[in-house]
Amino acid sequence: METMQPFGDGFVTALAPELVLVIGMFTLMIVPNLGDAKFRIPLTQIRIPWFFGGKRGTLDSDPRLPGIFASMFFVIAFLLAALSYMNGMNVTMIETESGYDLLLVNEFSRIFELIFYGALALASIASINRIPATSRKDRSALGLYNNRRQVDFYILLMTTGLGMSIVALAQDLFLLFIGLELASFSTYVLVSFMKETKEGTEAGMKYFIVGSVASGVGLYGLSLLYLWSGSLQFTELTLAFAENGMEPLPLIALGMLLVGFGFKVSAAPFHFAAPDAYAGATSPVAGVLATASKAMGIIGLLRILLVVASPEATDGAAVWLIALAVLSAVTMTWGNLAALGSTNPKRMLAYSSVAHAGYMLAAITAIGALNWEPEHLNASNDAALAVVTALIFHLVVLVCFKLGAFLVLSILESEKGGHTLASLDGLAKREPFLAATMFIFMMSLAGVPPLSGFVSKLLVIMGIVKVALVDVTVNGDLTFSDIHWVWYLALLMVINSAISVFYYLRVGLVMFFHEPEEGREGPLPAGRSVRMAIVACLLTTLYFGVGAGQLISLCEVAANALVGAW
Amino acid sequence: MIDWISIPLVGLPLLSSLVLLAFVANADGATRERLGSSIRMVSLVISLAMLTLATMMFFAQSHSTLYEALGFDKALDWTGLGFGSFNFEFRYVWIEALGIHWSVGVDALSFPMVWLTTFLLPVTIIATWNEKHASTYFPLILMMGGALIGVFVALDLFMFYVFWELTLIPMFFLILKWGGKDRKYASQKFFIYTFTASVVMLLGLVTLYFLQPDQALSYSGSWTGRTFDIPTLTAHAQQGNADGAWFLGESMQKILFVMLMLGFLVKLPSVPFHTWLPDAHVQAPTGGSMLLAGVMLKMGAYGMFRLPLAFFPHAAEHFQFWLLALGMISLVWGAIVCLGQTNLKKMVAYSSVSHMGVILIGIATMQPLGWAAALFMMFAHGIISPMLFAVCGAFKHHYHSMEIGAMRGMAKHSPWLATSMMFAWMASLGLPLLAGFVAELMMFLALWHFLAANDLSVLWMVGPALVLALTAAYYLWSMQRTIFEGGEETQPPASLNGEPVPDIADSEKFAMIILAVFTILFGVMPWIALDMMNGWTVAFFETLLIPILGGA
Repeated sequence: METMQPFGDGFVTALAPELVLVIGMFTLMIVPNLGDAKFRIPLTQIRIPWFFGGKRGTLDSDPRLPGIFASMFFVIAFLLAALSYMNGMNVTMIETESGYDLLLVNEFSRIFELIFYGALALASIASINRIPATSRKDRSALGLYNNRRQVDFYILLMTTGLGMSIVALAQDLFLLFIGLELASFSTYVLVSFMKETKEGTEAGMKYFIVGSVASGVGLYGLSLLYLWSGSLQFTELTLAFAENGMEPLPLIALGMLLVGFGFKVSAAPFHFAAPDAYAGATSPVAGVLATASKAMGIIGLLRILLVVASPEATDGAAVWLIALAVLSAVTMTWGNLAALGSTNPKRMLAYSSVAHAGYMLAAITAIGALNWEPEHLNASNDAALAVVTALIFHLVVLVCFKLGAFLVLSILESEKGGHTLASLDGLAKREPFLAATMFIFMMSLAGVPPLSGFVSKLLVIMGIVKVALVDVTVNGDLTFSDIHWVWYLALLMVINSAISVFYYLRVGLVMFFHEPEEGREGPLPAGRSVRMAIVACLLTTLYFGVGAGQLISLCEVAANALVGAW
Repeated sequence: MIDWISIPLVGLPLLSSLVLLAFVANADGATRERLGSSIRMVSLVISLAMLTLATMMFFAQSHSTLYEALGFDKALDWTGLGFGSFNFEFRYVWIEALGIHWSVGVDALSFPMVWLTTFLLPVTIIATWNEKHASTYFPLILMMGGALIGVFVALDLFMFYVFWELTLIPMFFLILKWGGKDRKYASQKFFIYTFTASVVMLLGLVTLYFLQPDQALSYSGSWTGRTFDIPTLTAHAQQGNADGAWFLGESMQKILFVMLMLGFLVKLPSVPFHTWLPDAHVQAPTGGSMLLAGVMLKMGAYGMFRLPLAFFPHAAEHFQFWLLALGMISLVWGAIVCLGQTNLKKMVAYSSVSHMGVILIGIATMQPLGWAAALFMMFAHGIISPMLFAVCGAFKHHYHSMEIGAMRGMAKHSPWLATSMMFAWMASLGLPLLAGFVAELMMFLALWHFLAANDLSVLWMVGPALVLALTAAYYLWSMQRTIFEGGEETQPPASLNGEPVPDIADSEKFAMIILAVFTILFGVMPWIALDMMNGWTVAFFETLLIPILGGA
């Protein structure tokens, strides 16, 4: 592992994807403002060309520019991250002069960056059609509106990406929180971006209020933790927990942090704002919330919970085991039951993402159930690795099919649909390919083989079962009570995914069975870039299902970077 | 040796259906109609090629130059194929980390089912030659066939599960798009019911997977050290079950047995999990029903033989009476409900439930004869029930009604349909010299033997015997009301609005003849299939069960 200081040698290569985003932000701020402005030196007649402002050229003032630029920057950042991952990671720790760890670039953070940039790139490409920029001759109110706010939208997407990568990289709880807030604040604005609609404003307001309360609680927990241990670095915190982790103060702090991150992953009972936010935001943004933003919350949860549950900190089961088990059981059941009754497809997807959060929490719970006494260490390490791999795999493929489903809805939104299940009616007659794609996304969400959603669910179940059986030796008189009770979380998950089939299937039913609504018989709105993004989602959904092996080994490497560091 | 299973029998139908569907995906309505007939022809050719290959695989018992040229490197012996060995075994790494392989092979258990599927595909296509929306209907039938064959040839739990669930998708669309009035409800119920049972089964499989010892087995995953390979697992379970010990311990084995059986019992279906079947059948189009009853139900019985019975014989013995009771109840209940039906297709659907009860009873006897009876029932019912549904479909198609009383005196107007119906009905009620009779007779003998061996009252025989009478009653009664009644003043259905009553189309006649010929063939010469089934069962008992259970 290399260590370096900020802006030291190799800093640029290590953080290249993030720096691309920073450059992108500045580019987006500067380029649309370039003009023929001149600066007159006071008291003279000399005018120096200043370029910033004034009459702008046709090319740089084109409102379509920011969308294209932002998509390009996201794709470049994605490719850079992918390249560095493929070419053998150069694990780099960035620390202060006094040796205080700040950011760690390793396989774990890289794969999450790939998730973030992938999701954001797709959302940004899709938004080119969703919030269309028109030539400046369009004088309708919405057209003018949309033209004006292009830059804002894409810059906010980029700050979201930047905040998320900081979360992935952070080695210090405070830095992690800063990243989290940077991303959160950007998403608050993005959610309420359609401020001319009532739903948009309402969604942004709700999301902001609940989100900021959750952040506040989390921050308070953070300060309590600092008060108790004197450091917010993960390694230091682990040591502190190992010494005297059972004191009330850190436990209260832990609970508060759970609230903060629980909101991000939309775990029940902190999920109330999520359906409103998803329904009010534009679909690509909602897709980012459901995938990248959730991945960010999972990092937070993993970091803080594993600090407490890692082998250095504890021998037996983690203190939060029961709490998290209850949370996950409630979350998955609540999400599925609520989704059953929702007729708005975006709310349905929001609740389904609550249910998926429950599955992921169940996986994390399983890690907490592991036994870290020396004689169990190897087996437990293996099991933890399996669970974290499953989590990462799940988050990666979630970008493919959940975001894909939102992108399909975003095409419908362009014709003022997408808010009722009825607007999907007869999609198979209007555009068969899109309907088939949406059906594949739904089946993948439900976990039907051979799609990637099935593999991810299987991996999570396998991880949990592996943990449940990790101490079991088969010697003839094995009884069922020898199995750890986390096995029942897998059972609950299985039952829940059976419930979930109902509402996923319903989408298929209305698309293939119903006649199109009145006024929606014609072809769907055009949009080449959003369809390109959807095809990318479709191909990856299929590929990661049939050829899951490669992605699994990639995720395993990433998981090993987190778990193997113990 | 060439991999004759993966590519032509599984890959070809699946891929060609996808290609055909993609081909018409964004075509407009007129183009689709135009392409329909050529797509139908392509599907027929593909399915006939599959049938030819499967038939050749059956006859590859002597080593001729033709087979040599085709790459069959040895004469295949189906009857003497021991338990646990497979023909055409091929294995490719799929997901290395988890020990998942694309692993195929056929033995005497799966080969009859594979052949049956390839046989039913062209027959179904011919029988439903004039189905509407041909350009998407026939690819879906092909996809269904590929997925079904995939279930039967899979020798890897993961692959088995993938194909097991994959069969749901084409069937869902067949019911949803070509079904009757309540198709929306029926397709949803069908999907959710069977999916729920399968995911419970999946959890059981995963638990079993992790209960294997680490690194001890061949074909293990590089990372988990465990395998999904079915033959390896079976061999491992055999070791664990040796000398009267319970593989995985008593309570664990029982629970896993129940979890696995749940998935298969719902698919079979057995009372009380049967309620999806009548709905699905009544609403499904003829082609869907033919494949659903002909092959898809057999997946449940096949799965029982392949997994829980092979892995957990102790638990199977423990739950023997439960299975027997479920089988008896299915048998009797199905027959009683049949008596009360006014809908022709629903009656046939419930008769399927009743016949699946026979399979379950055969399994529950835990005797080679009973198991052979179950295996032969799977096969015979796979030929007879498509004919039943083809008759129902023709009935519906020509009289626009499914009500038993709607058409009277059919023999006069539609002699072909009346004859086919009579033949199918007779075959299904177990007329000697037809395929169904053999299986029922064997089941009776096995049950008798079982009762005698266990000192049980002969009264247990009353149920099945009663059912024979009930079956004859409902079939004959419905026949009387549709074919013969009316005399000179026949009563054409009101739904025809006084139009002349048509007979069935030539393609339908052809399909009926083929099905009837094979029903007779396997009724007169059951040993064609029975020999290999019997060989498999005896080998199974010798290797797995007799060392454990003692005696026979």
